[in-house]
Amino acid sequence: MIEVNELSKVFRKPIRGNGLSGMVKTLFSRQYEEVRAVDGISFTVPDGEIVGYIGANGAGKSTTIKMMCGILTPSSGSVRIDGIEPYRKRRQVAQHIGVVFGQKTQLWWDIPLIESFKVLKEIYQVSDADYKERMDFLGEVLDVKRFLSQPVRTLSLGERMRADLAASMLHNPRILFLDEPTIGMDVLVKEKIRLAIHALNKSYGTTVILTTHDMTDIEDLCSRIILLEKGAILYDGPLSKLKNRFGNLKTLTLTVPAEIRAETAPLLSPEVALSEEDGRLILRFDADNVPLEQVIQYAFRDLRAMDMKLAEISIGDVVKTILAQQEATDGQAVAQ
Amino acid sequence: MLKKYKPFLRAGAIDTMAYRFNILIWAGITVCEVACLVFLWLAVYRSSEGGMDAAIHGFSYREMIAYVVLTTIFNFVTYNNDTVWNINTDIKKGTVGNYLIKPISYRGKFAATSLGNLLTMTLMFGIPFYTAALVTLGSLGFLPDLSFPTFFAHLGLFLLAGLCASLLNDTISYIFGVLCFYTSSGWGLNSLKVTLISFLSGTLLPLAFFPAGLREIVNRLPFAGMSQNPILILMMKYDLAQSIRCVALTAAWIVVLELFAKLLFSHAVRKVTVQGG
Repeated sequence: MIEVNELSKVFRKPIRGNGLSGMVKTLFSRQYEEVRAVDGISFTVPDGEIVGYIGANGAGKSTTIKMMCGILTPSSGSVRIDGIEPYRKRRQVAQHIGVVFGQKTQLWWDIPLIESFKVLKEIYQVSDADYKERMDFLGEVLDVKRFLSQPVRTLSLGERMRADLAASMLHNPRILFLDEPTIGMDVLVKEKIRLAIHALNKSYGTTVILTTHDMTDIEDLCSRIILLEKGAILYDGPLSKLKNRFGNLKTLTLTVPAEIRAETAPLLSPEVALSEEDGRLILRFDADNVPLEQVIQYAFRDLRAMDMKLAEISIGDVVKTILAQQEATDGQAVAQ
Repeated sequence: MLKKYKPFLRAGAIDTMAYRFNILIWAGITVCEVACLVFLWLAVYRSSEGGMDAAIHGFSYREMIAYVVLTTIFNFVTYNNDTVWNINTDIKKGTVGNYLIKPISYRGKFAATSLGNLLTMTLMFGIPFYTAALVTLGSLGFLPDLSFPTFFAHLGLFLLAGLCASLLNDTISYIFGVLCFYTSSGWGLNSLKVTLISFLSGTLLPLAFFPAGLREIVNRLPFAGMSQNPILILMMKYDLAQSIRCVALTAAWIVVLELFAKLLFSHAVRKVTVQGG
């Protein structure tokens, strides 16, 4: 169980002057600007949940993760992992969490992967039986067995990430923090990583906090989304609800005879937006207001559709819309 | 719980061997240094008032040469950890986070690595170098009578003092390393540490050469136990009682500085702003 309560992190950055004179000035008097990376967020994650923690670059995702795993100390507020504050009792909490930072490896660069695993086995005091069981499980779901004897520096990015994930799961953590685990991975590796996270969550009931920019990760894995922007939570709830935030939006793309044009085509109702793109007609509508059946009939009868593709609004589009709206409101606030 | 640190002890021991070519070069440089120092002191004694028979601040020229040779070996074997640099790198590259999320103490990791270093260096270089030096200096009459069993008591205390010195050095290195959290750069701090230790530990010059008032202070600082005292114990310039007092003083300093390091780290770690990402 993770409890985050009014958590804030403020970084003090020295303001450096420009050029030589600026540098000399900075040497003697320093001014600082305060950056509120995380600004009073609260949420609770029960055991066994997979939470997608998303937001633009610089929204404060990694900073939150670092506070949750005890690397950073909050400026105010608190994090409790099973009732313990990780930055106060670092070692106690560390035994029960696993962390992967997609940007950096935690494996020892020069030694064979298997040796890194053995070191971790000793650090976390994993018993021989548990170690064997974990290695079998991870070997299977992450397919790390092939390159166990290679030094980490010779691994490809995809192999290294799988190795890093395996390393973070070796001591059977109750909570796994994954900070962009699929960054820079190809589709196959991404797939493997997602399956592994799923398998882990299913078999061991591991709680997973996942940050990512890949919305497929979110749709495949997460039942719950926390959307962060400028250090504050914009949305916290189930994925399905986020998707329906703007209604049950659907897009119908039609291939139509050349003489049917968007400007001249008959309209079904003002609630069905009609546009044209690359010679195809695109219908956008809210399926809760306009029955899908009616739209499809209209497409065949009035627009003489020869082919059609129905798509739901993607989670990426929703997030994009929310962030754009937020930016617009912020823009107005600044203008005022 | 100490078992957790075994991999770091092992890594420290193995790493030392991995860079054996580097160490051999160091060993070569060290031999040249000793030769220079021996000739320097010979010149000093020759031009002193009493000539070669003079005792300068209680050291005859024989004792001084034995002192120079033994301190050089001692420093070579005992001080080869890179704790300041390693902490500095951890801070600069942001890898410090990798250790903060593991159920081990950052301090313990470095202590174990340094002990591993010490173990390898003692086995590989310490035993042959000390043996050769003691036999040579002894047969030339540069050392007092190495008679049993007094010498063995001193040898035992010397080994204990050496272990303490190595631990103390690692503690001090760790403190300077942790200060890198504030400065974000270890170069200046490392130079400061090296200069401070070589000046105040009696490596450059036995502390007997310091003015009386200063000497009293320096003798009570932790540094005296890092070079001068272990050697004077080995050379039997200190009697057993004084030797034991010296070792106890160093041990006490380790406790005090470890406590300080703990406080400093718990303050510094709040300053951590893991770089990048």
